[in-house]
Amino acid sequence: MIGEEKLKQIAEKALSFSKAEQTEVLLSVSGNALTRFANNQIHQNVAWKNLGISARVVLLNKKTRQNSDSGGQVGVASTNAFDDASLKDVIARATELANLQEPDPGFVSLPKPQKIIKVTDDIHHATEEEMAAGADVVIKKAMKENLIASGAYANDVSEIAVANSLGVWAHHAGSSCNLSTIVLGKDSSGFAADVARTPDEVDSELVAETAVQKALESKNPQDIEPGEYEVILEPQAVSEMMAFFQWYGPNARIYHEGASPLSDKMGSQVFGKNITIIDDPFHKDVFPMPFDFEGQPKKAITFIKNGVLQNIAYDSYHALKYHHQNTGHALPAPNTMGPIPLHMYIAAGDMTRDAMIKNVKRGLLVTRLWYVRVLNPKMLNVTGMTRDATFLIENGKIVRPVKNLRFNQSIPKALNNVVGIENKLTPLASFEGEMISLAPTLHISKWEFSSATLF
Amino acid sequence: MLKIAQDILSKIPSSVSYADVRIVEQESEDVATKDGVVEALESSQSLGYNVRILKNGVWSFAASYDMSEKGVDETIKKALAIVKASATHKTSNVQLDELEPIVDSYKTPIKEDPFKVPMSEKIKILLAADKAQKVSDKIAVTQASYQANRERKYFVSSIGSKIDQDIVWTGAGTDTTAVDGPELQNRSYPNSFRGQNQTRGFELVRELELEKHAPKYAQEAVELLTADTCPTGEFDIILDGNQLALQIHESCGHAVELDRVLGYEASYAGTSFLTTEKLFNFQYGSDIVNLTADATIPGGLGTFGYDDEGVPAQRTYLVKEGKFQDYITSRDTVRKLHEINNQYTKRSNGTVRASSWSRLPMIRMTNINLEPGGEEGTGKGWKLDELIADTKYGIFMSTNRSWSIDDKRYNFQFGTEIAWEIKDGKRGRMLKNPTYQGITPAFWNSCDAICGRDEWTVWGTPNCGKGQPGQVMYTGHGASPARFKKVKVGVVKW
Repeated sequence: MIGEEKLKQIAEKALSFSKAEQTEVLLSVSGNALTRFANNQIHQNVAWKNLGISARVVLLNKKTRQNSDSGGQVGVASTNAFDDASLKDVIARATELANLQEPDPGFVSLPKPQKIIKVTDDIHHATEEEMAAGADVVIKKAMKENLIASGAYANDVSEIAVANSLGVWAHHAGSSCNLSTIVLGKDSSGFAADVARTPDEVDSELVAETAVQKALESKNPQDIEPGEYEVILEPQAVSEMMAFFQWYGPNARIYHEGASPLSDKMGSQVFGKNITIIDDPFHKDVFPMPFDFEGQPKKAITFIKNGVLQNIAYDSYHALKYHHQNTGHALPAPNTMGPIPLHMYIAAGDMTRDAMIKNVKRGLLVTRLWYVRVLNPKMLNVTGMTRDATFLIENGKIVRPVKNLRFNQSIPKALNNVVGIENKLTPLASFEGEMISLAPTLHISKWEFSSATLF
Repeated sequence: MLKIAQDILSKIPSSVSYADVRIVEQESEDVATKDGVVEALESSQSLGYNVRILKNGVWSFAASYDMSEKGVDETIKKALAIVKASATHKTSNVQLDELEPIVDSYKTPIKEDPFKVPMSEKIKILLAADKAQKVSDKIAVTQASYQANRERKYFVSSIGSKIDQDIVWTGAGTDTTAVDGPELQNRSYPNSFRGQNQTRGFELVRELELEKHAPKYAQEAVELLTADTCPTGEFDIILDGNQLALQIHESCGHAVELDRVLGYEASYAGTSFLTTEKLFNFQYGSDIVNLTADATIPGGLGTFGYDDEGVPAQRTYLVKEGKFQDYITSRDTVRKLHEINNQYTKRSNGTVRASSWSRLPMIRMTNINLEPGGEEGTGKGWKLDELIADTKYGIFMSTNRSWSIDDKRYNFQFGTEIAWEIKDGKRGRMLKNPTYQGITPAFWNSCDAICGRDEWTVWGTPNCGKGQPGQVMYTGHGASPARFKKVKVGVVKW
């Protein structure tokens, strides 16, 4: 890592090379390692380090249009070197692109400095030996039961800084350790994962135990007819379902285009009264992120309260364009996806997982989902498969493992049919650990399975 | 750069069994317009290198941007430390198949270097295409995009190979969104998800004539708002080439990756139903189905000179006249296959690529193709009009909208942007929200007609994800429209 002081000097130097009205630089430094295992041995073991600078140059009122003299011309360039020649070149390339631009009437200004809550930098490097040892715990437990372990142990360390010519400066460094595994039997599989700040906090034993247990319990899965079932979605499945809501739901760009299922529904009851959805970058169980990729402060925000749409996510562009307060959800420029919340979760309820299972008359317990894709963003209906251990529940008891099924399900409908929410949130990482989300187990009264597969 | 790569290689201790060094310079340009405004205008560069070492029967890989002497020493030291950690947990030794050393250069043949075309011209082309989509007040979003990428790769290995490659690929397209109340429909030209992409120069963008074609597709998006919903049932379907390309990608391309088959991708993307005992005896498709992996097709997005292990680009039959014949392989996985099946004696067929200098090379699709009709073993070479005329009742589907497949590549479901009903050999009413679902071998065994080479295009799929850490690779798929019998259609309740 380079450190805040030195990164600030680099950022200031890059900004000094720009003659544009406004300039922003986003700097990143990363060191990553990933130990991957399959067939009960480590087969890929990699480490890489990189740095990057992305410059956004803004020319204001350079060109005039017939009906408008406002708008900014914006160009973005990036490179992975911090020497003076590279800094000058990246600013020059961004400026050249900005000069070629037609003004965007929607662009008003880069954001001004805001007070950012300082979060202590929290960096932990995992050694090759620590990562290999984590993998070894899983492998040994799987081999003991004649199962085959595969998985990955990732350690990601990163430093991010944002500066702009209006005085914004924001810096944060953090890291994560993430162990995930899929344990395979002859006709079964089990998934488990753990994510933590330090290698010591990764519970390899629990990951191994959970995945092995799932693989054993899902042996000899039986055929089951597709159709409408009650489901218990475990936290990983809930997170996979909500990933597309995160993108297409409370996103100011898509909302104002009229393409979101939430469009024009501010203040309306959109989901069941038991659903509250929050984005909290300072939640005790997530890796804190005090600012967005424009260096604007992040804070906890409630999108849905008791089923009612209360807020959506904005970045500076959409906040100024639609005269709304910036909520600190910018992604790196140029961003054609719109502002997206990265710490979003469904608030915990009041039930235990076991109590929810007891309430199921005939339904399925789903460990996780796979290959979820949007069928229509406006309706936010998605398709996907179940994966890595699915079970039939009858009269409140898990009775047998079943083969995987394909679903076609509207997410808004699912969130209107939630009849039970677990009383705790489980931290979950993406496969590479750079993001963390939280999810409870959900009991949903109707879930549409449309076809079956052969395993 | 080859000299620098050689210098790095020379620093790796001779005690290793094998080592290679890859320096990669990447350059890209992206332009995206939305509603008449250039929304993204970006130029990116990246330079770095990696060392890959095989020692004590295990692989290690370390990569860095830092090409200083100290940086290189640290990278090699890291790679050797990784070897040590991996070797303590091994149960078998990695072995590499034979390979002759190669000293050569490869350059993508292009007519017009996209990076030399003035940016102002690119912006003008896209803004004109964006504006041309405004055919109705129901048009909610107009978009056009252009992208160009250049990879200069410098590869040296301990067997004496020295290869430099200059690979260029370009792409462009339009995407129109029409909205009316709760109804939303999209049409893209010439394909969804950033248009057509090929290892060609700016000539591809000019040939696409975005401004000329955009209004027709925008109009279709508007018409889809009031079109009838695709009916539900078991029908014959004709898939347009741009949809069939993704069908090949998902249900054949990933299924024949030998690393998946051997379980090396089980922790993420999954495994494959095409297990090794099926080699040479499994009826993957009907007898007119011939699937190839061909990294030599001019313009294919998966076309190159050498893979990232220094193996020459090749053409391989994966499925011949319906029978499963081969996988896409690497130097280490092919050795495993020799051990499993002594009938299999082939060398690596050269499909190993990495998405950047910081990523480990792994088996990736090259151009995975359904060979056109009218050639040896592929049946009649139909024209699309003839195929429609030959269909009593069916659905003709075009341009992918959604895709999903299980982790063994059996159960798939696709949605397309548009479809038309075929009745008594005539293309009839437009249909919205078409979807179809099937099980891979049954689906390919139901293929009874494939259009000929005149309608065969190598479609680019620039967004293929695989591996941990994730890698996005550019792959190609040659396809012409083809017909499949009795497929489940209209599988989503809207």
